[in-house]
Amino acid sequence: MQMIGYACAYVPVELLSATGLRPYRLLHGDINLSKRGEKIVRVDACPMVKSNLTYVLENEEKFAMLIGSTGCDMSRRMFDVLSERTSIPVYVVNNPRTDKPYIYSDEIDWLVKQLESFSQIKYTDGIVKNEIDKWEGIRAELRKIDEERAACPSLVSTADFHNVMTSYHQSSFDESATPRHDISEKPRVYLVGSAIAYEANHILRLIEKKLRIVGDFNCGISRPLQIRITEKSIAGIKHAYYQQPPCMHKRPHRKYYDFVGEQIIRLHCAGVIAWTLDYCDVYEFELRKIEKEFNLPTLRIRSDFSYQSNSQLWTRIEAFAEMLCSKT
Amino acid sequence: MFENIAPQKIDLRQWSTQFRLLEDTDIKQFKYYGNDEWGVYLSPPATFMVYGARELKKLKFDNSLSALRLWGFAFNESERLFRARQSGKHIVAAMGDLGTVPVITMSFPECVPFYPDCTWWTPFFNESTVLLDKASELGTPEGSCFVRSTLAAFHKMAYFPKPDILFASTGASCDDYSCIMQMVEDMGYELNWLEIPYRRHRKDYHVEERYTKTAHGFEYPERFETYLVDEYKRVWHKMKQLTGTDDTERLKQSINKNNRLRRLTHEIRELTHNANIAPYPGLEMMVIEFGNLYGYADIDEWLNILSMVKETILGRIEKGLGVLRPDAIPLAWVTPTADPLLLNIVEDLGGRVVATEYVINQALVEIDEEIDPFVALARSFMDASMIGSTEERIRNITTGVDSGKVAGVIISNMLGCSHCAMETRLIEEKLKRVPVLAIDVPGPLGITEQLRTRIAAFLEMLR
Repeated sequence: MQMIGYACAYVPVELLSATGLRPYRLLHGDINLSKRGEKIVRVDACPMVKSNLTYVLENEEKFAMLIGSTGCDMSRRMFDVLSERTSIPVYVVNNPRTDKPYIYSDEIDWLVKQLESFSQIKYTDGIVKNEIDKWEGIRAELRKIDEERAACPSLVSTADFHNVMTSYHQSSFDESATPRHDISEKPRVYLVGSAIAYEANHILRLIEKKLRIVGDFNCGISRPLQIRITEKSIAGIKHAYYQQPPCMHKRPHRKYYDFVGEQIIRLHCAGVIAWTLDYCDVYEFELRKIEKEFNLPTLRIRSDFSYQSNSQLWTRIEAFAEMLCSKT
Repeated sequence: MFENIAPQKIDLRQWSTQFRLLEDTDIKQFKYYGNDEWGVYLSPPATFMVYGARELKKLKFDNSLSALRLWGFAFNESERLFRARQSGKHIVAAMGDLGTVPVITMSFPECVPFYPDCTWWTPFFNESTVLLDKASELGTPEGSCFVRSTLAAFHKMAYFPKPDILFASTGASCDDYSCIMQMVEDMGYELNWLEIPYRRHRKDYHVEERYTKTAHGFEYPERFETYLVDEYKRVWHKMKQLTGTDDTERLKQSINKNNRLRRLTHEIRELTHNANIAPYPGLEMMVIEFGNLYGYADIDEWLNILSMVKETILGRIEKGLGVLRPDAIPLAWVTPTADPLLLNIVEDLGGRVVATEYVINQALVEIDEEIDPFVALARSFMDASMIGSTEERIRNITTGVDSGKVAGVIISNMLGCSHCAMETRLIEEKLKRVPVLAIDVPGPLGITEQLRTRIAAFLEMLR
């Protein structure tokens, strides 16, 4: 089945899925993909953007269409580059950064028209309801796993949970493939920051050798689980996606900090891991505030998806874990 | 004055000598806010070097009286803003949109708009990393745009007075500055956030919706205009609350005045870029283009200065004179350089700027005076450089390349700047019919022989 690529938490997967195509979130992050991307954009572009560009260009035949959004500047411009360099139809949705629900609503209406036209499928109430039921069902299953991850003690590692969430983002979720229990009494930490790429699982595993990530606010892991569609219609989709806990890009970003702060308290976290990708402005500018606002020991990890600093990173993780243990 | 002196670029020492030719009466006739007592701004550029703009001692300036006025006025802005505050005017910070919000705020009496964003030149003119270091202390990453110096300026409160009101535009804008504005808000400033829509151009596979076109021919869905109109009406409302006045006739007058400025700048650009010999230098031309954003906090005097600049240029063209060699190589410059010295270097090495894309297209287009003023403002903003595709952004440069007017292109990038990272390769590719040189603007005092050599080799190759 051909794929419909998308790159933002505000693009409703239900609407993409209704085309009959396979929604595929562009969340690649691999040093080799990224390096090859430097033929197309400058070295100081986000490594995830570079990886995604390469992935799409090298797999062009797999994509029937691409849906972008104005989430971050580099991501928006990635679709401009793809529009220039591929023949894949590209559609970019205005996702307002300030609180403008009517713009989002208009843009989703526009997107629906494009998807209907492309797929030649009329989005009837029945089709929309079926898609909502399907994806809400998957999210409900995933929330159960997330609850196990968040339990005291935590029963599921985030590295394993990430693999399951990868299947959500790639539309290959298999209900029977739930992660094994891996009970942990390690220090509980919360993960924030840039997106976690499909290929970044090894970094989560490295972190969880000494720590247990019990919650996160990252694209690539649990963010879609905050979306709960109660009214089974396009209006319900708009409401649920727009009202999700806001992305750091939103201005002002107070609600982001309020939401994450509540989660950190609810999950009894002893520390925070702030994960940033090279040149990811949105989080790099916020690191100081993240430390101050959550008032917890914070480990900053900056990555370009390479493996070269893993031993250094391992030492820092060990030291951080030791420090958290001595505090508890 | 100076009519009998041949046009050329001169250094600080030469300007100080030439300045002595002026009578006191000459100096006193030029003043900002029309104030005789403290509004005089004409002084030799060395004055500003003494006050901290150390790079001026390396720069060369046009030797006309109009250029003297231009530099005196531009460098006097900080003083002007503090004087405005002292004399009871409202200080309005417009951030991020580069060109439209000030047109609205100028409609209100005793309101002076300015762009804190323009602080990004200060570390370079001052040859100082003080602001950049402070920005790092405040939490900005080292690998981000030099515009981070704005954050430090807000922290220090020595470069401009505390604004009475702030408007911060975000949306389809660069990420660095959106983050900096957020950090300004986190410092305790109350920001009025405005949404900038992405100018989604029509593709043949897009389902029909009502599209319209900007003055430059960029297509966009008509409803995007209404989003901007709503935002501009909010600006109006906030300004009404601040000043207690509400007269849309004044908005029309402000648009008219800004159009005069935009037309004048357009004429000056056309004359300069198309003359056989460059009648005015590239650095002064950059200052002129950016003046369109807000008239350097006194649009009336800025208009007077530009009228004089135009006279200077016309006079030189008539006499067949200029400030660069007749065989200077015609170049397009994409993205403004944070370090002004680069423009001087390129000219010293035999280049000449004949086309520019300084990310402020929205401030260069005329605003329609025949329609509702808010709609007209929205429509003019839809011409903005940064809100659409790269192809649209450089269309003007592409035309210059295709017509043979442009022999080479220089792109000045900033490390870590989101649009530079994504656009440069595309621009290189789209303009590859001529040689393209992409350079990274280094930090203050960072221009090396290596960089000079690259520019020299590029120009040599073009020659």
